Amino acid sequence: MSNVADVVIIGGGVNGCAAAYYLAKSGIKSVIVLEATNSIGHGGSSRNGGGVRQSGRDVRELPYAMYGIQNLWPTLSEELGVDTEYTQKGNLRMGKTPEHMKKLEALANSAKSVGLDVRMVDQKEVKEICPYLSDDVIGASWCPTDGHANPLTTTLGYYKRALELGVKFYTEAPVKSLQKIKGKVRKVILNDGTVFEGETIILVAGYESRAIARTVGVDVPMTRLIDECLVTEMQPHMIDVMFGCASADFYGHQTKHGSFVFGSDSGWETVDEMVDPSTNIADPSRMITNSMTLSASCRAIQGYIPALRDAKIVRSWCGWLDEAFDGVPFLSPVEEAPGLILACGFTGHGFGTAPAVGLMLSQMVRGEKTVVDISALRYDRFKPCR
Amino acid sequence: MVDIQAKLKEIGPFVEGPDDNLLVCRCEEVTKGQIRKAVHEGIFTLEEMRRYLRSGMGLCQGQTCGKLVKGIIASELKVSPAEVVPASSRAPMRPIEMCILAEDGGDDDE
Amino acid sequence: MKIERYDMIVIGAGPAGLSAAIEAAKKGLKPIVFDENAKPGGQLFKQIHKFFGSKEHKAKVRGFKIGQELLAEAEEYGVEVVLNATVVGLYPEKEVTVKVGDKVKHYKGDAVLVATGASENMVNFEGWTKPGVIGAGAAQTMMNLHHIKPGNRILMLGSGNVGLVVSYQLMQAGCEVVALADAAPRVGGYGVHAAKVARCGVPFYLSHTIIRVEGDDYVTGVVIGQVGPDWKIIPGTEKHFDVDTVCLAVGLSPMSQLLKQAEVRMNDTKGGHVPVCDKYGATSVPGIYAAGDVSGIEEASSAMIEGRMSGASIACYLGYMTEEERDARIDELEGQLDTLRQGMFAPKNRGKLVEKTEEGIDVSMNLLNKGYVADDEIERFPGVTHQKGIHPVIECTQNIPCNPCQDACKKGCIRIGKNITSLPAIDPDKKCIGCGMCVASCSGQSIFLVEEDVEEGYGEVTMPYEFLPLPEVGDKGVALGRNGKYVCEAEVTKIRTAPAFDHTYLLTIKVPNDMVMKARFYKKEA
Repeated sequence: MSNVADVVIIGGGVNGCAAAYYLAKSGIKSVIVLEATNSIGHGGSSRNGGGVRQSGRDVRELPYAMYGIQNLWPTLSEELGVDTEYTQKGNLRMGKTPEHMKKLEALANSAKSVGLDVRMVDQKEVKEICPYLSDDVIGASWCPTDGHANPLTTTLGYYKRALELGVKFYTEAPVKSLQKIKGKVRKVILNDGTVFEGETIILVAGYESRAIARTVGVDVPMTRLIDECLVTEMQPHMIDVMFGCASADFYGHQTKHGSFVFGSDSGWETVDEMVDPSTNIADPSRMITNSMTLSASCRAIQGYIPALRDAKIVRSWCGWLDEAFDGVPFLSPVEEAPGLILACGFTGHGFGTAPAVGLMLSQMVRGEKTVVDISALRYDRFKPCR
Repeated sequence: MVDIQAKLKEIGPFVEGPDDNLLVCRCEEVTKGQIRKAVHEGIFTLEEMRRYLRSGMGLCQGQTCGKLVKGIIASELKVSPAEVVPASSRAPMRPIEMCILAEDGGDDDE
Repeated sequence: MKIERYDMIVIGAGPAGLSAAIEAAKKGLKPIVFDENAKPGGQLFKQIHKFFGSKEHKAKVRGFKIGQELLAEAEEYGVEVVLNATVVGLYPEKEVTVKVGDKVKHYKGDAVLVATGASENMVNFEGWTKPGVIGAGAAQTMMNLHHIKPGNRILMLGSGNVGLVVSYQLMQAGCEVVALADAAPRVGGYGVHAAKVARCGVPFYLSHTIIRVEGDDYVTGVVIGQVGPDWKIIPGTEKHFDVDTVCLAVGLSPMSQLLKQAEVRMNDTKGGHVPVCDKYGATSVPGIYAAGDVSGIEEASSAMIEGRMSGASIACYLGYMTEEERDARIDELEGQLDTLRQGMFAPKNRGKLVEKTEEGIDVSMNLLNKGYVADDEIERFPGVTHQKGIHPVIECTQNIPCNPCQDACKKGCIRIGKNITSLPAIDPDKKCIGCGMCVASCSGQSIFLVEEDVEEGYGEVTMPYEFLPLPEVGDKGVALGRNGKYVCEAEVTKIRTAPAFDHTYLLTIKVPNDMVMKARFYKKEA
């Protein structure tokens, strides 16, 4: 029966496709990937600002973020046969106030404690690294081994390679529920009733993972949040570094194409509700930008990179972010639902770590020790506050 | 539900065509051959094609090439163009300078 | 952040948008219309030809005049039109962001009408991105709005109305149209438009498509070839033309991006991505309407009626009109729309080969295949009669909704009847006085005055003429037949116009008696 496989992966985003690839590469070719929408990478994977960074992360993410950058990203384009546009020219996380600098310093110190090469730089050095910045930028944290890549081609590159290795992909295959058979999670049931079965199930479907996990008695503490991005026309090549801000004013980079991709927000996103305007009923499958954020984003960007003031914005878009309660993903086997591995809650910074996460997911499937210790990311780590 | 591997098998491998050099998306200079080849790599939708090759990402945002790319994908998949879902449209409908947007809704705005 | 709220926001000040705004304004609404161009009127201002239809459809009025009339009406009813205003987004709650000058402004409408029209399709062939390959609509904009010749020697691809009308206008602008090609086996537009072009000497190549365009930095030549039933080029049929311009008239696609952003339910049709609309122009999102080409490609006349329908619907939706009033008005307008959607080119006949007219006459196959009615076909039609003395000869051979010729003749010589798609017929009992009003009133330029025995062995043919420089009385030249080829020598005997002719001249040439049913165009000897 072709609906049965060694591994069923729910979610055709960058993490799911990477997991499929590393599984197939390691010899497990009986893999099925189920994507709910009609396109691979339809969610956050194709909507983010392309950061491949270690700095600015929670210390729990650092070991695998660093592993990916040291071992996987540098040869990824060659390995996948696509141009991931991986560029390792550093990450400037900028600050305009003493409070910003304090925050950046705290992050930098905790990162240094696990061996990351990150340090604070003053205004003079910031300008040397990137001469296009506003005088309002008083300093930054600087991590030379950070960088950026193209999330669209990277995701599709993993997909393409996995296909070549024989992984089965189904699109327009939204999953409704999981079911245990004799104590093991094995059955994956689609909305239309189609049944798939796997020895191991990887649930890596962004926020949609939550409802699916609930069907086998596991609820993951995360919310969802809309975020927006924009892209400019092609500009002459100016900037290699990845940008971020202490206050999350904006983030982004200049792509190989020459256009700048930036992400930002207006504050409305936390209360924004996606609605089907034809029925006035809430519909989280929609991704609709609001009328303020594009302008607010431009204001923010211009406040740091005045040289871009005449750059024309060609397109804006938005995407859902699955926000874990403590800002780092749930990445572990779910022992109480044997056979289930959970990978969600990437809280908007899951692209850069996708190769490492994909690799570790394949290791979890094979029962191997993951390349770095991720016990801090267990699915059941939530502790009440009182 | 679309079974990607089954469809790939059905359409067979990529065979070079006589006009593969033809430009289709002229904003981003994507050729017919690139699009056709991508279909055989598993890229079946306009959205995925746009992400993969940048077709439709240029200044006209696909208004010129959208129909052409759709036709090529449909032809390669051996389906009618009506079965290839059109790509999405987003603001701004015409390219607009960052400084003009930045002024909208700022403190100086009354 | 200021958001100005209006009853009705209209995006696009073309025929649909303006008509809707006027209709709503008449009921007391205060609409605001945004248009990204410097001049309103949409496609109307490029249309220098006379429109078809009947009086209520503004038949025989030139497109740009209709545009001027619409603008005047908009001003009369206090419709606010903001030009150089690009609507860059249609957001939730019917909010639009508009770029005006160097500012972005926010507006909200209780109702929003999207009337953004359509853009030209492209077809790709080797060299299609070279300078010199342009859309026919773009050529029209250059010529008719900016008074720039698009080129000197032009090949037109596409035999729909746009391709035919623009070919004629290119010649009026002084360009040479070396050929007209279409991959389809039959002319897609009105036969009378094709005939106008064919008799000027432009050869038609149906079942032909462009193989490639030549030139290094710009177009210097084009090669076309015949397509077989499998749409592949038949080897050995290549034809080369020296041209500097290739015009593409291969259809239009709705510019429905704003509707898509607004998550309106869409339909992916052969004619493009269009919103699902009810008969009132309402989309699936309450308060968002669509009218004109954006909701499906037709023409300016239908766009205006659709605009009025949306205007009435919006007026009712916002409480300025009762449902009864709205329904009555919609019925009236649907009647007008229906009249336009009849005849050989009705939407229901699209793609079909109509072999007989409504009167049971075999249609001219030559017209469909080559662009002109053959000599042995022309006599079939009720507008073509032989009489003593001057009389009109009407070479209108297809059923299209159009009847200005009937109203033009004060003597009652021309009969169409209640059904305006009927072919015009000549009433042999009525006496023609040769005033020429019918010749000038025919939007298809398919009416001629013919008189045999004006002098020994010679007769006269009077034709509509819209080219400059005008010939002078006494000029000697040649007459071309319907097929654009030489038929005989000709001498200009009269050239006249009148205000009622609206810039159409009547050119009379003297030709041998046996040529009066053949000579249909005049050219000075090369």
